This record gives sequence, C-alpha cells and structure tokens, in this order.
Amino acid sequence: MKKPDVEKSLILTALFAFLIFAVGAVMTTIVPPMVDKTLWDAGDHDVHEYTEQELRGIAIYKSQGCVYCHTQQVRKLASDQRRYGWRLVEAPASESWEYVNDKDHFLGTKRTGPDLARVGGKYSSEWHWAHFKDPRNMGEKFASPNGAYQSASIMPSFKYLSDDEIKDLTAYIQTLGRNQNWRKDADENPLNDYEQ
Amino acid sequence: MKQDTAAKMMIISSVLFFGLALTMGLLTALKFIAPTVGEIEYLSLPRVRILHTNVNLYGWLLQANMGILFWILPRILHTKLFSEKLGVVMGIIYNATLLGGAVCILMGKIQNVEYGELPLVIDLLVVLCWVMFAINVFGTVAIRKVKYLYVSVWYTLGAVIWTTFVYITGNLVTALPMVTGVNQANLSWFFVHNAVGLIFTPMGVAMAYYLIPKQLNTPIYSHKLSMIGFWVISFVYVWTGAHHMIHGPISHWLQTVSIIFSFSLIIPVIAVITNFFGTFATAPRKLRMDGPIPKLLMMGTIYYIFTCLQGPFQAIRAVNEITSKTDWVVGHAHMALFGAFSYYAMAGIYYIAPKLTGRDLYSKKMGDLHFWIMTLSSIPFFAVLWISGVIQGFAWLNPENTFVQTLAALKHAHIMRLLTGSGIFVAYVLFLYNVLQTFFGKYADEAEAETISE
Repeated sequence: MKKPDVEKSLILTALFAFLIFAVGAVMTTIVPPMVDKTLWDAGDHDVHEYTEQELRGIAIYKSQGCVYCHTQQVRKLASDQRRYGWRLVEAPASESWEYVNDKDHFLGTKRTGPDLARVGGKYSSEWHWAHFKDPRNMGEKFASPNGAYQSASIMPSFKYLSDDEIKDLTAYIQTLGRNQNWRKDADENPLNDYEQ
Repeated sequence: MKQDTAAKMMIISSVLFFGLALTMGLLTALKFIAPTVGEIEYLSLPRVRILHTNVNLYGWLLQANMGILFWILPRILHTKLFSEKLGVVMGIIYNATLLGGAVCILMGKIQNVEYGELPLVIDLLVVLCWVMFAINVFGTVAIRKVKYLYVSVWYTLGAVIWTTFVYITGNLVTALPMVTGVNQANLSWFFVHNAVGLIFTPMGVAMAYYLIPKQLNTPIYSHKLSMIGFWVISFVYVWTGAHHMIHGPISHWLQTVSIIFSFSLIIPVIAVITNFFGTFATAPRKLRMDGPIPKLLMMGTIYYIFTCLQGPFQAIRAVNEITSKTDWVVGHAHMALFGAFSYYAMAGIYYIAPKLTGRDLYSKKMGDLHFWIMTLSSIPFFAVLWISGVIQGFAWLNPENTFVQTLAALKHAHIMRLLTGSGIFVAYVLFLYNVLQTFFGKYADEAEAETISE
C-alpha cells in the first residue's frame, strides 16, 4: 500500500490539523461540563437569584471593566482564604456551583486591587458609596486620609456614575460570596454584619 | 487589480494601529502612577487597557500577520494571491470594523471575555473577514504551482482552521444563555489562551519559517524538526486553557490536564527553536548581522524561548501560587505577543516593504537604531513586571500585609514600567518613520537623480 503524502495534499494537511486539534478542543470544552455537573448546576445548594437592581449593577460592573483589576475567586490557598476572610474567620474557597447564576463570570486574571469574591456585607453600603466617589480615601480603615496609603491605591474614581448607578452597583457587590454562609461564630450564630 | 495591493494596505494600516495600541499602553502605565490622569468615563483605566490589548491583537498583530502572509504565500506557492479584490475588500471591512470596535470599547459596550471584548455585532464582522481571509488562503494553496506544501503553509492552514473554532467558542458560544459561571470561564480561557497559541503562534512561526532562511540565504536546518514542531503543537496547545484557573473553582482533574499539557509544550517549542537557531548557526556570518531584519528575527526567537519556558513553569501549582494574578502574568503576555511575535512581524514588514516598492529600505541604520532601542527598553520592561509580580506574590502570602501595602511596594516598578515603555514607543516612532518613508518618501539618491535629469 502506498503511504499517503500529507505534505503534498491541501485536503489531508487541513483535515489532520483539524482532527488532531479537535481531540483536545472537545476534551477541554465539551467534556468538563458533562463530567462535572457543578459547573452549571448547583444541585441542593441554595444560590442567590439576582434582583432587577442587582442585574443593573452587574451590567455596570461589566461595562466599567471592574474585572480587569478585581478577581472574584478565593483560591484553594491558605493565603487567599486568610486574606479575604473576616474578623479572623477564614473565607471558604470559592466553589464552582456558587457561580451558576452568573450570566457573566467575573473570575478574573489580575489582582491590581483585592479579590471581591467574598466582599458582600464586609463594608456598609455607605462606605462603598464614598469609596466609588473617592477611592483613594480609605475611610475608617485608615484614619489619616493623607497617610501613606492614600497615595498607594491606584483605583480610578467612579464619580461620573450617577447616584442611582452607584446604588445598583453596591447592591450587586453586597451579594458577593454569600452563597456560602461562612461568617458565624463558634456557636454557629451569624456574626454581625454592617447590614444587620 | 495590481498585485499585492491587499498586502500593502494591511501592512500600512497595521503599523498605524500599532501606534494607537502603544499610546494606550503608555496611558495605562501612566494611570498606574498617577490615577487621576484622564479621569473621565471613556478613558478610565479598564477601558484604556481593553483598547490597548484589542488594538494590539487585532489592529496591529493579526492585521500585520495577514498582510505579510498575503505576500509570503504566493511566493512560496509560486502563484498569485487567489483573489486580490477579495483581499482588498476584506482589508477595508476589517479596518472599518476595528475602528467601530474601538469606539464600542470606549463607550463601554463590551463583551465580558478577555481579549474578546469587541461586542457581538463586531464579532460577526470579524468572522466575516476571517472567512474571506480563509477563502484567499485555501484558494492560493489550491492554485499553487509547486507540489509540496512548505512548513509556513502548514502553519497558516492550521491557524486558519483552528482560529475559526477558537474565535467562535470564545466570542459566540460564551454568549449563549445557558453558558454561565465557571463553565463560561472555562470557555473564555480556552479562547484567551488559544488566541495566543493557535492564532499568533502559528502565524508568527509561519512568517519566521519563511523569513529566517530567506534573509540568511540558508536552507532550514531540519525538515524533520519542522514536522515534529507542527504536529505536536497542533495536538498539545489546545488542552492548556484551564491553567488560568489553577487553585481556582474548577475541577481538579481539568487543572492537572492543563498543567501536563502546558509542560508538554516544551517539546514543539524546542523543536521550532532548534530549527531556527540551527539555521542561524549555519548561515554566513556576514548575513546574520546585516541590518535590522536578522536581528529582529534572532531576538524574537530568543523571546520566544523565554516566554515558552516561563509558560510551563508558571503552570506548576507551587509556582502558580506566587505568580498568578500578579504583574508577572502581564510580563509573560507582553514577552509572547510583543517580544516574540511583534518582533517577527516587524522583521516581516522590513523585509516586505522594500519589495513592495521596488527599492531598498529607507534607512538600515535607523532600522538598527529602532532594534537596539526597542530591545534595550523591552528587556527591563519585561523584567520589571516579573520582579514586581514576584514581590507582590510573596507579599500576599502574609495576611498581615494589607492589600494597599502590597501595592505600595510596587511604586518603583510602576515608574520603571512607564519609563521603559516610553523607550519602546520612541523605537516605534523610528520604525513608523522608516516604513512610511520606504513606502511614500523621497530618497536622497532619487532626489539627486531628479535634479541631474532636470
């Protein structure tokens, strides 16, 4: 039998290049959601359904490109879990089922600012309002507004957003990370939130 | 229509887009030092960054690659471009689409896919252009006058076929209503990584496989290595998308698969690199240092090695813990797309521009100067990003460092980044001037010849 000469044939080269690529493409895009249902189905977990206001907030979060500086994933690393915890309670690592209601995922690739996966409820909505208007004023966390840290933050100001837009955005941010109820004390009682 | 009109048009507009992209890069770097600069919605930090990446990827690099391949393919295949008219029409639609896309980005009308921010309408127009490009590539191969397909042709065919699926998955499938959350993230990182790996890598390598032997007037070192490089990369590259989510909320097995395949990428890369260096090593010494073209090809190859060694090591879980999500990644991405593939594209433009106009490059000396300024700025530019990435990665390990403290430690790195970035911009201006003069300028000896004839 004569060996087919791939290098002489446009069709064979193209076909082989496609097939050999298709193996990996199928294995990494179609197979994962088939094997691991938690990528798209929360199962027994209770996942927050976004309200209309929160959905408007998501649209603003997306169009302002917040994801380019803020990730939304607490990785399965002690350093991440401690850093993004709250009052010495470690934040649980993010799980794939927590994201099933996010039409747009904001997992992100770069942390120019801190991770926001578990930020919901950590700060009051008033704090967020002030922070969007003037991000380099860190407020109560850093007493002196002109201190060393003021110049360190490089977050751009979002003062051009209207008050309603900031309210929508804040409403969304306050939902983040609450699909797991993790802020409780030793007796399983929920710890104090700014909202309570 | 005159031969090579499409190539000429796309090369010139890509060079102009490169300037816009670099300006946006500088503005981003400036905002890292002085965040109050340009504090309006349309020029906010994320928008400028998105414009920087998209204009670089599609306006500059992809367009330059397509223009150069429009010129190279007919030469390899001893024929004419399948349809010059189709090429020109595609070029016009493509540029108009990109300008529209740039406006959409500034307005914040974006899709939530990194590197694929252009909105859906623009995506469809890009797909249309891509189909026109594919028809031209396949057509040119079909009407060839040689029997065998050279390596550059395999890579170009591969790029055309793979990109079609990668682009559709990243930009259209992710927009489907049932694709949400981590499942969507998996698809968008399939796109992000393969946009670099299966669009720009094969196109860049295709150009280098033509330019290196041509410029050095030396046959390619080993045909067998070319084959190994091509077939292994076409199998291995596509598996690696999930390495963007190591330690993240996605199946552990998928992360492991992506790590194993990221490491396997060393095989095709070393095959390609050995081939290029083998060709350099066997070339006449005089040709290796003659003007900017061999220098750009050589340096591009060196950057290619480094970026492709970084990749596998970054994917190791322990290394990833430190480098991921920091400036390190930014440095890595710059070395791949700017260091390796933009260097190849600039070499290609220096090679082709004189051939298109039928005269010498305007100034070899200026070309050399462009090369040296760009290289001596880009090495510290990359290095400073890696250093600041490592500093930040280790600083994050200690929960007692507040986030702003870990950011404050990078002040000097950010200043260096702007300074070295400006060096790159200065070199670009020399490149632009040289290319535009080659196309449109008046040469000293030509002016003399005119005065004599008068």
